[in-house]
Amino acid sequence: MIKAGQIDKGTALLIKGQPFICVEREFVNPGKGSAFVRLKLKSPSTGQTLRETMKTQDNAEDITVEDRDCQYLYNDGENFHFMLTETYEQIEIPMTSFEDYQYIMKDGETYRVTFWEHTPLDIQVPAKVIFTVEEAEEAIKGDTVTGATKMVTTETGLKVKVPIFIKQGEKILVNTETKEYLERVNK
Amino acid sequence: MSLHSFTKMCLYDYYLVMDIRAIESRSQLMKAMRKWFSHHDYLEVDTPIVSADLIPEPTIQNFSTRLISEFLGEKELYLVPSPEVFMKKIIAATHRSVYQFSHCFRNSEQIGDYHNPEFTMLEYYTVDVDEQDSIEITERLFAQTALPSTVDSLLPPFRRMTVAEACKRYAGVDLDAVQSMNKIREAAISLGLQLPSAPERWEDTFNRIFLNFVEPNLPQDKPLVLEDYPVQIECLAKRKENSPYKRRWELYAHNVELANCYAEETDATVIRQYYEEQYRLLCAERANTAKVIPDIDPFFADMFEQNYPKCSGVALGFDRLLMLQMGRKNLRGVILFPLSDIIS
Repeated sequence: MIKAGQIDKGTALLIKGQPFICVEREFVNPGKGSAFVRLKLKSPSTGQTLRETMKTQDNAEDITVEDRDCQYLYNDGENFHFMLTETYEQIEIPMTSFEDYQYIMKDGETYRVTFWEHTPLDIQVPAKVIFTVEEAEEAIKGDTVTGATKMVTTETGLKVKVPIFIKQGEKILVNTETKEYLERVNK
Repeated sequence: MSLHSFTKMCLYDYYLVMDIRAIESRSQLMKAMRKWFSHHDYLEVDTPIVSADLIPEPTIQNFSTRLISEFLGEKELYLVPSPEVFMKKIIAATHRSVYQFSHCFRNSEQIGDYHNPEFTMLEYYTVDVDEQDSIEITERLFAQTALPSTVDSLLPPFRRMTVAEACKRYAGVDLDAVQSMNKIREAAISLGLQLPSAPERWEDTFNRIFLNFVEPNLPQDKPLVLEDYPVQIECLAKRKENSPYKRRWELYAHNVELANCYAEETDATVIRQYYEEQYRLLCAERANTAKVIPDIDPFFADMFEQNYPKCSGVALGFDRLLMLQMGRKNLRGVILFPLSDIIS
């Protein structure tokens, strides 16, 4: 059992016998009221979404999970295909449960996948990832209204707003949660 | 490259991606509001953010800091969760309508789309008016100061609905009929909510119903004034005569809680009682935890003994209003240096 206030993105919970992963958590403090937490939970196997608002002091049933290394192979538009690096066993994870991950994960890279018994529940992507800029639009001279930024596309297809001095082929560090540019990486 | 110049380069990049439109919009909206308040004869005040005592509010966690002085000794001081404690003293002294943009601090709040432990509050008190007048004042303020990018659903006229009407409409709960702890528990269970076996306060069960069924369904086509809050939710708003509700409203826009307003309680006896009860509750809840137990001013209620003017106060989350008027979905960028960036 854990307190609802300790539930974070990625926490695995058992709700009515079904495993769910917390994908969104927003703290709410209703006018002059106790602290509550508003959760969006997703069942990785069915894609079903649940919304729950609980007092931060409420108990929730968390489940023991295990992380294993998995190599990301490809996606077929519906599922991500991974291979467990220990056993070479191949697994599929529905893409609907992990929006945007197709633009973040790189083919051939190894990621930690969270399992509950034999069910994959969560894919852990690093909080910051270095990408190569594959397409960069030309900066418009004198365009400072938008804070001197432009859009670029990475090798994974992720679109990121960056300062105008970033050029094609350069490497940039990106926050994978907010999809925000953090800094240029000099090699 | 030295570490110093490396850090400087990163900072330089950081400033380049800073949201210049947000910086300018913040300035523009503040300027327009200051002009509006000045035109309507409100006095702008500037009160401290550090105080030796706070108004007891058990649900708001506090920040403390330590004064260390050779001459004054050492003393625990607190960052204000709202400027109310000082502004009410200014009203007592001047009998004038006052406003201020104040930095406010609420500890233990997770950092999220709509929360930052430090935020900017616009607080305005109007003398000789009640909470109903404050609705019209706020409508005029919104209409006359909004940024050009503001969409119609953020502009007046505001919709109005009582909390009881909203509970009836969206949760099917008759608030008048569930005034006892047993009755509201039954109502929550029949809605399918899971309640802890340990007893909880009436307002906690009310908030479970409100947050799960009512708040997510509130209309969003216009700002919504949700009025007449249950008396069980303790606050310094006047009670409606012969009714289990208080003269308090909250303003919602795009389902975001934007402002809170009271017909301010000015009865010294009631305020003294509120102070005693809420402080007892606060101390009981925070004893044996790391949470800050602020001092309170035992003489605060005394200033209401003599001729304290009738007034109504509105506390408005300025950053949230700016976020909505700019068409943003969260406070990132709107709050220029969010705590998550400061501590990382």
